[in-house]
Amino acid sequence: MTGPILSLRSVCKSFPQGGLLDRLLGRDSRLVALDDVSLDVMRGDVVGIVGESGSGKSTLAGLAVGLARPTSGEVLLDGQPMTELMRNHAGPWRRRVQMVFQDSSSALNPRKSVARCLGETLALRGVPKVRRESEITELLTLVGLGPEIGPRLPHELSGGQRQRIGLARALAMKPEVLIADEPVSALDVSLQAQVINLLSRLTRELGLTLLFISHDLALVRTLCSRIVVMRKGAIVEQGPCLDVLERPRHPYTQALIAAVPKGLAGRRTPSPALADAGADPETREDIHGAA
Amino acid sequence: MSPALLSVEGLRVGFRSADGGMVEAVRGVDFSVAPGEAVGIVGESGSGKSLSMLAVMRLLGAPARVTGGRVILDGEDLLAVDEKRMRALRGRDIAMVFQDPQSSLNPALTIGRQITDVVGAHRNVSTREARRIAAEALERVGIRDAAGRLASYPHEFSGGMRQRVLIAMAIACRPRLLIADEPSTALDVTVQARIVDLIAELRRELGLAVVFISHNLQLVAEIVDRVVVMYGGKVVEDGPVEAIELAPRHPYTGLLKACVPSLSGPVGPLTAIEGAPPRLGRLPAGCPFSPRCPDAVEPCASEMPALVADAGHRTACWRPR
Repeated sequence: MTGPILSLRSVCKSFPQGGLLDRLLGRDSRLVALDDVSLDVMRGDVVGIVGESGSGKSTLAGLAVGLARPTSGEVLLDGQPMTELMRNHAGPWRRRVQMVFQDSSSALNPRKSVARCLGETLALRGVPKVRRESEITELLTLVGLGPEIGPRLPHELSGGQRQRIGLARALAMKPEVLIADEPVSALDVSLQAQVINLLSRLTRELGLTLLFISHDLALVRTLCSRIVVMRKGAIVEQGPCLDVLERPRHPYTQALIAAVPKGLAGRRTPSPALADAGADPETREDIHGAA
Repeated sequence: MSPALLSVEGLRVGFRSADGGMVEAVRGVDFSVAPGEAVGIVGESGSGKSLSMLAVMRLLGAPARVTGGRVILDGEDLLAVDEKRMRALRGRDIAMVFQDPQSSLNPALTIGRQITDVVGAHRNVSTREARRIAAEALERVGIRDAAGRLASYPHEFSGGMRQRVLIAMAIACRPRLLIADEPSTALDVTVQARIVDLIAELRRELGLAVVFISHNLQLVAEIVDRVVVMYGGKVVEDGPVEAIELAPRHPYTGLLKACVPSLSGPVGPLTAIEGAPPRLGRLPAGCPFSPRCPDAVEPCASEMPALVADAGHRTACWRPR
């Protein structure tokens, strides 16, 4: 198979803005989160999607996993349009594309033990009851946890452990594509490395395609083979990860690279690259574009 | 060394736990800040870095309280003065900006009102003069049309600009010490870089001493003179930024540096620190990092090493590197 596993074709996504009164008076407007985005992700690719808040990177993740539908354009999995695959129910799509969320504490049901959470996911995949327990142990081992975690509730776990459970739950569906939306940004730095190394190993061993959404260029550099830089709902630059980071062409990519803390090497003198990027957005409108 | 502007001695902060006992989160912290010096306090969540500085500002809320130590600002023990005196010092001699600019501003008042309130509380000036000082402070933090923006409400500003407003409020009365608690963490990276630039610039121009609290050693190293590394409620290392960056002595500092990837150098698996940060009340008797430390030896888990000074570089480790 040579075609892309996941494709976005001229995808736009906008959300209605303003309250009921605005709408009644015909003053409503739409916030454009994605504006004509096309992207091909090949099987086995590890793609980093970077950008700041308002760049549309999380909207893109939501579309790819099937949590939202595009306003226009098409999302395809293995060449088949999402609308077709989801016509009757979302099951097949969701099984093949799974997501790991940023905030592991709100992504897990606080009343369900780890074993129950994973067990229910396995049931969705049709794993018979007798096999579930052994599969739960396998999944926990896969993410570097022991079976003693099974009976615990989410609040009894550390942030790093919870994020591993989020990953185990996604892997329970045996997905082909994994989407990780800022999976380590809520973790302490000493735990980030553990989770990133785990993601890297699993992607390789299970032959997963990974979309890694992050604002951290250095993490993307460690993990990803390709990078997609987004700004204000559009892709401004993409290519092989190391190439783009070493020879960024777009001024915005250059500004992002300049903004990465560099320790002693970055001792502060006013930085020209940042001045080029323009001042901070002063108002909310500046961030979201003309509304 | 010049006499310290701020000197924190044996500071302890505890929480009353459900069973009536005390759980200590800051367990005997010592460090000092010289006039005009910029000090970074680096540590992960639960290290006690923010609690220590809230204790310095006397802003700890129940159930946390100071259980020991002294905080000397210019010869005066902030933990011993009455509330009235503390209110006079807070905002005038020592000011603090927080991580979340959204919740630090009153959404119902214009930013002009919020800054002039601070000015009015500390300086006997006319309303007009207070507004002039407020506009000047806003201008200094890089807000265009400062006088015009005094009438704006917080929601009309972006996150980065709100943080600038808070910094303006903090410096309006020309304090000698500015404490910044993760001031850029909630912001986008390009905005974050500019806030860090701004703090470095204000320090230079106003001769401010700065305490910059962060979990990011690389970020802190760009603007501070000295780094204090905290772990499990203790200072584990404290030294000049060059020494901390190039030749850290505590294994935790070294690993903290190694586990954060950079934009240069070879690409490969990251150095991980095994285990998880310690939980309050479950700290070992000895070095708090010993359960995760690759170099841990016999006394590490049972006996806390002293913070030993060597030419301005202090390390609390049985086997320093």
